[in-house]
Amino acid sequence: MIMMLPFFTALLAIWFAIRGHRPVAITAWVITFVIYLGWLKYHITDKLNISL
Amino acid sequence: MSLSQALKISDSKSWSYIFNTVALLAICGSLAEAFYYQIFMNELPCPLCQLQRVALTMAGIGMMLNMRFGPSAVHYALILASAMGGATASVRQILLHIEPGDAGYGSELFGLHFYTWSFISFLVMMVFCSVMLCIDRNNMTAAFKTATKGLTVLVMYLFLTLTAANTVTSVMVCKFGSCPDNPTEYLWKF
Repeated sequence: MIMMLPFFTALLAIWFAIRGHRPVAITAWVITFVIYLGWLKYHITDKLNISL
Repeated sequence: MSLSQALKISDSKSWSYIFNTVALLAICGSLAEAFYYQIFMNELPCPLCQLQRVALTMAGIGMMLNMRFGPSAVHYALILASAMGGATASVRQILLHIEPGDAGYGSELFGLHFYTWSFISFLVMMVFCSVMLCIDRNNMTAAFKTATKGLTVLVMYLFLTLTAANTVTSVMVCKFGSCPDNPTEYLWKF
């Protein structure tokens, strides 16, 4: 899993929205959200060493 | 010149258009402010911080779709889902630092850490959707392309630029794997 991936798919969604392709933009948003949920599950169940 | 004239809009959806533009501008401001601290204060984003940036961006996409294609319940659903996802990530981070004596992660702004502000902003977004769904109740139509001109085009391209910059810096901070829990330096430097 790459942290860059949700930013990239969000970038695609924005680009397609600007270009006027609504269904593609919403599809890209859904992909972003699925990746986001994957990362979120990882980071709310994994021990994070950030209380340093 | 009135605000609606500056935004070059004159139809009945003008208030929805203005509110969504202002909301998107606020998201751009939040992302830009995070960049300011990252670049000038050398505060690299932790994984949960990155997730909150993604959630802000996803919410911004819903607002942009409202500006670009007219208000739609689907677009507000995207904003609500993003706000709920973002609130979950920020609450997780707040709870990580809730113990007395914990200094928290990163700088404070007006006495609150950024992840606390982030949680507040996601709550505000939910209220925003509730209010806008009332305001737009008679404007919900099948999505159509609206002519976006003037300041709104600038706001959309600013949003695009900030997301592109986030894409690049996320690679710089995390490379192509999971991000370090407490990043102190860029893993990939140009």
